[in-house]
Amino acid sequence: MPNLDALQRWMQSVIMNPHGVHTGVESDESRRLIDVGTAEVEDVVTRSQNLSAMERLDIYHRAYFARLVECLRDEFPVTLHALGDEAFEAFALEYLQKYPSRSYTLNLLGAHFPQFLAETRPPDEGDGPNWPDFLIDLATLELLFGEVFDGPGVEGQQLLGVEQLQALDPEQWLASRLVPVPCLRLLTLRFPVNKYYRAVRKGTEPTFPQPAATYLAVTRREYVVRHYAFPRLQHFLLSALVSGQTVGDALEMTADAAGPQLSRLPGLLHKWFRNWTAEGFFLRVEVPA
Amino acid sequence: MKPSRLGHPNLGLGVGLRTAHFGYLLRNFPAVDWFEVISENFMDSGGRPRHVLEQIAERYPVVMHGVSLSIGSTDPLNFDYLSRLKRLADTVNARWVSDHLCWTGVASLNAHDLLPIPLNEETLAHVVKRIRTVQDYLERPLVLENPSSYVTFADSTMPEWEFLSRMAEEADCGLLLDVNNVYVSSVNHDFDPVEYVKSVPHRRVVQFHLAGHTDCGTHRIDTHDNHVIDPVWELYRLAHQCTGGAATLLEWDARIPEFPVVHAEVLKAKQYMGAALTTPAPKVQLRASDATALPHPLSYVVPEVA
Repeated sequence: MPNLDALQRWMQSVIMNPHGVHTGVESDESRRLIDVGTAEVEDVVTRSQNLSAMERLDIYHRAYFARLVECLRDEFPVTLHALGDEAFEAFALEYLQKYPSRSYTLNLLGAHFPQFLAETRPPDEGDGPNWPDFLIDLATLELLFGEVFDGPGVEGQQLLGVEQLQALDPEQWLASRLVPVPCLRLLTLRFPVNKYYRAVRKGTEPTFPQPAATYLAVTRREYVVRHYAFPRLQHFLLSALVSGQTVGDALEMTADAAGPQLSRLPGLLHKWFRNWTAEGFFLRVEVPA
Repeated sequence: MKPSRLGHPNLGLGVGLRTAHFGYLLRNFPAVDWFEVISENFMDSGGRPRHVLEQIAERYPVVMHGVSLSIGSTDPLNFDYLSRLKRLADTVNARWVSDHLCWTGVASLNAHDLLPIPLNEETLAHVVKRIRTVQDYLERPLVLENPSSYVTFADSTMPEWEFLSRMAEEADCGLLLDVNNVYVSSVNHDFDPVEYVKSVPHRRVVQFHLAGHTDCGTHRIDTHDNHVIDPVWELYRLAHQCTGGAATLLEWDARIPEFPVVHAEVLKAKQYMGAALTTPAPKVQLRASDATALPHPLSYVVPEVA
């Protein structure tokens, strides 16, 4: 008789086998644990009046894949929309084999899904971002939405207001650092998947978008995830501030990166800082003594 | 002698807190006796689920029900998980903490399913030892539920009710008697659900679960997606009579209707308290076979995005 540990490892090996319980029972892994074939499996699992041992094991096998694919559908609804049911399910099943859950929480089930899509994408043909890159970007965005939705937030807290910035003298302003809210995430993508996401969620049928460098901020206010697209330069400055640069250093780096937009930059800055504070991107300003 | 329900109160008729009902609950704060929450949905939450739970816990008694303790697994206990569980229980003043007599994975994997154990002396000793460890860590008695199951093992040497009884006595823990699970397993494993309900240690039953399930013709699956069927209500009547009553909770996890429908379902339990006993018919056809039926609970929380 197998001990409890061998029995559990055997059952797990059988029900998690992607090719079904017959292949699972006959697999080398399972037979190393408990050496029974399908003909002798009732030495381990008993039959009922209505079902054989293999049919009963199959209930767990089907449930394992079906329930976790269902969770991935919930976690990546727009990626599912883009791929279609059949293709999404194929990716999801392969993903569950490569990255089976190792956590007590289903919230982490899809944590490696964008990475998996990147690892399994067809070879790049060198003609710029294409369909696989779009899917990877879309899954990246959906994963981030989930993290921001249930991660730490600042609801109920006083956030940085533009008037606090206006109260600083120029020297203090340039030496200061802006502390971002913990739910703020910045990312750069190859496709405007944010627009695609919004269109699908509104129930429309957007076409596959053309590639376009997309600079996003994702945050949460009043427990709802918000996302914003910015021009490259605005995103550049925001990224520098969020990374902990002083305002002075961040502005200098941005000026260096501005190119032909340099002359317009002073006029834009006031609007940018006003918008960022209005959207609650920063918790406070730290001014050196 | 142990006090009934390990000294816990009979909280009345409660409902499982589900995200589909968050909006309704916060707008109406309906007159519900208590709520049960899936522990894993809230223990790491810094967002809306946790915010809603805190508001619920301010107004209603809350009980925590887990799906990932994996008390029957041969993997080591996860003390990081237990520390989060304990912290949440303290924060929301959980009246008690429950999970399932099952294992959810081994070799560091999690199948996110409530997998059955062989019912024998080796498993009993293993489970009892782990329950004691968990109880010492949580500094409170654990309450364990009988899961629905779909296989039994050749190595089993005792019926599930006997295993539960000995486990509860030896580990000094409570029981969450899921009456629907008793019924589902009784059909799947060809045993008498009445004998089961009559045989568990009634003073240790802290809570009941009720739920709907799916009739697949050759077996039943615990889908939590429908009304409670009459034979399960009759088992509940028996369980209520045997125990003198305990906190009763309705689970509805798929195809979830509006909150008032779910609440009305659990309120039906009042009709089965103390009336004449009827022995349930063991195999009533609920509906046609459903090959897509999935056991629940699942516990993924869908984010809200503007």
